[in-house]
Amino acid sequence: MYEFDWSSIPGALPFLWEGMKVSLGITACAVLFGIAWGTLLAMARLSALKPLAWLAAGYVNLFRAIPLVMVLLWFFLIVPQVLRGFFNLDPNTDVRLASALVGFALFEAAYYSEIIRAGIQSVPKGQISAASALGMSYAQAMRLVVLPQAFRNMVPLLLTQAIVLFQDTSLVYVSALADFFGAAYKVGDRDGRLVELLLFAGAVYFLICFAASQAVRHYQKKLNAHVAH
Amino acid sequence: MISIQNVSKHYGAFQVLTDCSTEVKKGEVIVVCGPSGSGKSTLIKCVNGLEPFQSGTISVDGISVGDPKTDLPRLRSRVGMVFQHFELFPHMSITDNLTIAQIKVLGRGRDAATDKGLKLLDRVGLKAHADKFPGQLSGGQQQRVAIARALAMDPICMLFDEPTSALDPEMINEVLDVMVELAHEGMTMMCVTHEMGFAKKVANRILFMDKGQIVEDDDKDSFFGNPRSERARQFLAKILTH
Repeated sequence: MYEFDWSSIPGALPFLWEGMKVSLGITACAVLFGIAWGTLLAMARLSALKPLAWLAAGYVNLFRAIPLVMVLLWFFLIVPQVLRGFFNLDPNTDVRLASALVGFALFEAAYYSEIIRAGIQSVPKGQISAASALGMSYAQAMRLVVLPQAFRNMVPLLLTQAIVLFQDTSLVYVSALADFFGAAYKVGDRDGRLVELLLFAGAVYFLICFAASQAVRHYQKKLNAHVAH
Repeated sequence: MISIQNVSKHYGAFQVLTDCSTEVKKGEVIVVCGPSGSGKSTLIKCVNGLEPFQSGTISVDGISVGDPKTDLPRLRSRVGMVFQHFELFPHMSITDNLTIAQIKVLGRGRDAATDKGLKLLDRVGLKAHADKFPGQLSGGQQQRVAIARALAMDPICMLFDEPTSALDPEMINEVLDVMVELAHEGMTMMCVTHEMGFAKKVANRILFMDKGQIVEDDDKDSFFGNPRSERARQFLAKILTH
């Protein structure tokens, strides 16, 4: 019978916390850039300019049809070379974090753009007509009238996607970056307590994601009550 | 003020408007009526370029709507429009609804825009609701705010696209009262509506449309007294029996 030994966890907590900061940082950056880039992709996809719409659709379909872990590996292998060449960096500079961030942001943007596209389409067409009839340009109508309403409808979905993204950040272990999962793995490997550390890491992921999704559900209820009113 | 010459429009093979021509002079009130699907809403949306059209010309105050060189947003900012479903911006307070286009399109200062907006809100009898949101108002109240929002831009003419058809019966009059008052003040108006009482009271002319064509373009007395076309006679018989 396997005997659990949790004793290596307390001492490793500061190191694990450093890893958690990396995970949260990647999540936050990927959410922000993913939403910004995803908004542009969504607007391009809804654009009357067909070539622009096709390019955006091609991008979204490409990234949604390949596994995230492969995208991360490609970026791990390619982006460091590009960054080093472009910025003339020292070959020893650690650009793993940057390449992971770029990979996540570009990948997540494809998912965010689909959420945002649905959000934009959920705003009644009459709102654009009304904004246009008041003399607003298309850009003003989008920025002042359509997007604020679209984002309000989308917040629960965007947050849910952020929770999925937080779990996905564990995939950066392929680049040997010490995120929370990577840190737990390292400690477990070092002390020969891999099972305990991975159980602990799983419990932490569960607690954070479960609490966050409950918060989203609570917010959604409040939002629905407000809309029904 | 508004000149529509030989305007035709089709969606693919479906002809929505066929060779429509009419003139609206400054200060005139024109009521556009006809069975549903007759193209009356499409025609009025062509006037401010919300709907494109394939042939013919429309000019408003001498500016051609269909000309690709025309600055459409600028033209639209001078033409007020009121929609069937009000289309207030639900994420903004009533005051912000009244001021946003004044500030962002006309470049007015916030104080001047608020001042103007609140004056107009008072005029439509809703001053007490300035800080509420559209969802907190009844349909009739929302439509009156929508009229005030259009008037805040100091329009040279107003377009109404079935402004009362989405309203409960008891709210129709509060909206029509505002429109009648506007008409009496000399506003140039083009109204798509089935409210024949309103038409009798203030319209100078009635356009009757059917299947995308303007079948009658008469002054109101001859339209209600003795419509020339059989289709208009049938239409009137149907809506005036009760």
